[in-house]
Amino acid sequence: MSVADSARSSAPADLARQPVRRFLARVLVSDHPFPWLFPATAMILAFGIYPLVYSIWLSLHEWNRFTRSFSFVGGEQWAKALTDPRMWHALGVTTTYTVVCLAVELALGLGIALLLDRDRRGYGVLRGLMTLPLVVPPAVTGLMFLLMLDGQFGVLTYYGVMLGILERAQPLLGHTSFALFGVMLADVWQWTPFMVLIFLAGLRALPKDPFEAAAIDGANAFQIFWRLTVPMLGRVAAVAILIRAIDLFRIYDYVYVMTGGGPGTATEVLSFYAGRIFTTGNFSYAATISLITLVVLIVVANLFIRLFRVRF
Amino acid sequence: MREEIAVASVALRNIVKRFGVHPVLHGINLEIPDGAFVVLLGPSGCGKSTLLRMIAGLEEISGGDVLIGGEVVNGRRPRDRNIAMVFQNYSLYAHMSVFENMAFSMRLRHCAKDEIERKVRWAASILGMESYLGRYPRQLSGGQRQRVAMGRALVRDPEVFLFDEPLSNLDAQLRVAMRTEIKALHQRLGTTSIYVTHDQIEAMTMADQIVVMRDGKVEQLGAPMDIYERPANIFVASFVGAPAMNLLRGRIEGDDGGPVFAAEGGGRWPLPREVAARRGQSVVYGIRPEDLALSSEAESTEATISLLETTGPELHIYAQAGGAAICGIIRERLDAKPGQVIRLRPQIDRIHLFDAATGGAL
Repeated sequence: MSVADSARSSAPADLARQPVRRFLARVLVSDHPFPWLFPATAMILAFGIYPLVYSIWLSLHEWNRFTRSFSFVGGEQWAKALTDPRMWHALGVTTTYTVVCLAVELALGLGIALLLDRDRRGYGVLRGLMTLPLVVPPAVTGLMFLLMLDGQFGVLTYYGVMLGILERAQPLLGHTSFALFGVMLADVWQWTPFMVLIFLAGLRALPKDPFEAAAIDGANAFQIFWRLTVPMLGRVAAVAILIRAIDLFRIYDYVYVMTGGGPGTATEVLSFYAGRIFTTGNFSYAATISLITLVVLIVVANLFIRLFRVRF
Repeated sequence: MREEIAVASVALRNIVKRFGVHPVLHGINLEIPDGAFVVLLGPSGCGKSTLLRMIAGLEEISGGDVLIGGEVVNGRRPRDRNIAMVFQNYSLYAHMSVFENMAFSMRLRHCAKDEIERKVRWAASILGMESYLGRYPRQLSGGQRQRVAMGRALVRDPEVFLFDEPLSNLDAQLRVAMRTEIKALHQRLGTTSIYVTHDQIEAMTMADQIVVMRDGKVEQLGAPMDIYERPANIFVASFVGAPAMNLLRGRIEGDDGGPVFAAEGGGRWPLPREVAARRGQSVVYGIRPEDLALSSEAESTEATISLLETTGPELHIYAQAGGAAICGIIRERLDAKPGQVIRLRPQIDRIHLFDAATGGAL
């Protein structure tokens, strides 16, 4: 018997001895949808649906410290949240944070992308460097800006004082009205490159011909930008806005590292407020606040998708 | 409605184009009179589109001058050259309606609303697009999009129309239809037009003058039939005409009956009594397929049929004659099969001779 023959005759015997391999061999050629859908479905159920359903369940119950059990309270937590001025304040702070950061990152991102959209020598390196802030962990970014905005040693405070827009006695992060802008600086520094990358990808994918046609039609650079570039980038911008807005609305890390929600509750955003309540052991109310964040996001995101006809 | 149309001549003086250190156009000289329809014809990569883009101002000029209406326009921006261009991929503004696409240039010039309306409707009526003005480019077929691109060019009132392979994205039927439309439009407006194509049928059917280009140089300039009947060299002879001209390498030999062409593979082909080549000279013998006829005469050339193609009115015969592949087109019925031996006779006054060394016509 040749070597090949012996290998052929021993293969089924090997499989019979190895149940896992036999099972896999059967599953990997299966026509049934179950083995293919199972891994993704299991992940979604375990990490998406279960926490959501559990949060909803939590928001309808209350933890009793004496009986050490949950009791059903219906919509009580929701009613409490909707009449909680601190929740409304946190929602306001979150909205301000989202809108301002989004506007600045969008404008800066588009501007920088337009500047970097060249094929000259060195621009590739610049485009690569743009991604650096994205790989810094947000907590490290927060710490970095905390140091730079420090009233004593902060480099940004130093230049702020030099320009007359800051006072050493009143550092930005300690200012009730402007602390949120200090946190925004960290976000803008870290996430503007994301917008740049998305816009660069969009700009590079634009067809050249319409721009040449517009140049012949008589459009100047400004008219080409407003009448062609901006509308043609609309779809890309809509997707970028959606992704960033959702991310911004869930802001937690910079606030945690830089201000702890303070001074007072000046920078207390919704997720941070929910986290704070969670640490006090009021899991049900924390879950309710988190669900409010989710509901606001779903409503706003869907409105945006409908309004701007975003297609994925 | 009749519109006043401005026309201008175009002249190219020693135009050179280099991409980095690589020259792609080597000193092109061309005079295009007012109102002419000139076709730049050549294979891909010969520099015809680059030349057109230089006239449009979309490509920098490395050397020489472009003159429109007698004025050097080298330094002028595309929008200041009073030209209109129709691109291969239509180049429509996808987010604008057909009306807005056509009105775009006039809006930029801050034209009055009623003038824009009148002009767009005039262009749309010429192109049969009146009922599509509210649609978006994505809702149109390829032919309709090309019409919008032409409409956009029309409303500009240009002195010169530039067409960069405008029909190459259309199917065969539509291409023929649009070809006729463009030609009819030119006859109606009389605007100087420069049209780039690699399709020699387009060139032959549309042009007043054809400029045949190869490797950044003009190979021949002339009226379509001049180019077809008197090609300046082997390249033009083989590029213009489909099926291409039969070109056989060999030498001139003489006998008592006059000069004869002896092909390298062994076939012998007749020549007129007077030829511009000496006995023994290496030449390329050219004969167009339609200038070959079936014959029963002894002095005609023997050929073995390898393939027969019927187009309806014509029969294309592909055959081997003395080791060389040749093609003949006949309009009569022939009951023959591949492998069968036939005799072919060229029309003696339609024979072309080229110098084998230089490739130039003799």
